[in-house]
Amino acid sequence: MNRLVTVAEMTLRELTRRRGVLLLLLLMPLTFWLIRRDSYVGQSVRALLLGISWAVSTAALFATSAARELEPRLRLAGYRPHHLYIGRMLGLWGLGLVISVPFFLLTVIDANNLRYGGIAVAMLCCVAVAAPFGMLIGALLPRELEGTLLLLTVVAMQMLLDPADAATKLTPFWSSREIGTWAVDHTDDGYLTRGLLHGLVVTVLLIVTVAGVFAVRLRQRRHLHHVPIA
Amino acid sequence: MNADDWLRAFAAELHQRRVGGDVARHVVAEAATHLREGGGDPWLVFGAPQAYAAAIVESIGTAPGPRPGPVRLHARGITKRYGRQVVLRDASLTVRAGQIAAVVGANGCGKSTFLRICAGLVSPDAGEVTVAGRLSYCPQQGGTADFLLPDEHFVLVGAGQGVPRVPARRAGRAAARQLGWDAGNAALARHLSGGTRQKLNLTMSTLTQPDVLLLDEPYQGFDQGSYVNLWDQLTRLRDEGRAIVVVTHLLNQLDRVDVVLDLPPAHQGGRS
Repeated sequence: MNRLVTVAEMTLRELTRRRGVLLLLLLMPLTFWLIRRDSYVGQSVRALLLGISWAVSTAALFATSAARELEPRLRLAGYRPHHLYIGRMLGLWGLGLVISVPFFLLTVIDANNLRYGGIAVAMLCCVAVAAPFGMLIGALLPRELEGTLLLLTVVAMQMLLDPADAATKLTPFWSSREIGTWAVDHTDDGYLTRGLLHGLVVTVLLIVTVAGVFAVRLRQRRHLHHVPIA
Repeated sequence: MNADDWLRAFAAELHQRRVGGDVARHVVAEAATHLREGGGDPWLVFGAPQAYAAAIVESIGTAPGPRPGPVRLHARGITKRYGRQVVLRDASLTVRAGQIAAVVGANGCGKSTFLRICAGLVSPDAGEVTVAGRLSYCPQQGGTADFLLPDEHFVLVGAGQGVPRVPARRAGRAAARQLGWDAGNAALARHLSGGTRQKLNLTMSTLTQPDVLLLDEPYQGFDQGSYVNLWDQLTRLRDEGRAIVVVTHLLNQLDRVDVVLDLPPAHQGGRS
């Protein structure tokens, strides 16, 4: 447990010290909100949710890429792969929650007639999905630039796809869009249920995939045999 | 070099020449007293620290070095190809407790690859490595977190062994001091100079009290004093019974090592 907490703590410390990057990441959701603010609050909320997803997944990508060289030696220092990826994920979820609070307050103050509980749940879905999603991309792509471009593509696709298109359900952040619709347009509870289910399934799938990738990358190689000291 | 620097260099030279701890402390204390009472430039009074240490060793002798212990690292038949390039062919190395081994060879002969295979970070195409006890690895570059303080690195590494944060921090600072570095007041890793960052790297690898220590050109960016401190610390670790493997291309270090693995150049180019 101490190992998990230590990795989570160090992840948070590292990310909060990247102030310039954090500010730029926060700028995107804020800009999304402001651009659509005067026309249609529903689009504004959906764009804000997508912006939060972008911010958290990009932070996850940076954290994972930065730890690429450090993790093998931490493995030798006594960490198991799950200490490293779960600890990092915990830190990223914590950061995502902290990022979400001011944006949630923004919706409460700046927009009327919303189901605010739904907005909060949608933000939680964004954070839950974005952390493992960014980590997965960071683990698969060795360079930050490639990962950022891929994230940008996913977010742009999520934004531009027709909501009626069945393919949108295959995008990682569909859950927040569905719950956002429930919260903004006061639709039936089916939207909330579908969104929650999608968010849960995608989060679990991403965590399992991240676990698999880390287990392979930080595996004990077959040629190396450890024997105890007599 | 003032009197304190001279005495430090003198003490390091005695240690490297395996003069016993109590005897070395006594000789250094005598020299310090002489300088304090008589004054004068130590270079004029005693000469160069190396020469004076050599004279002391000649007159009082040295402590016998500990005999090599059981095998701690045994790499046999290591072969590695990158595409059609054979970087390593049937390389073998055995290092016992209380020994320092040097892996040498031209650029691109696979020194770093060999060490990474020994650390279990890269799989060979053929061959096996057996390690007895705890293993630690210090990479040539990287291996630290840009946005963490040195103390936080120590806490992170310590937690892997279940060491609470205060003792981990204390142990890290003490190990850093052995390299002549005060880690307590240091900045974020990204603001450290190349040499200091390498000291952090090295400190992290010794913090886990490894039985086998793998170092990939650990002295990069070191000044002369830090370089002396490094070999001083490696000698101390060897005397404590650790098995140490150092990748190096500086041949003048070889007189301080017990085993040498000279890798031949890779076929069709290669990588280091």
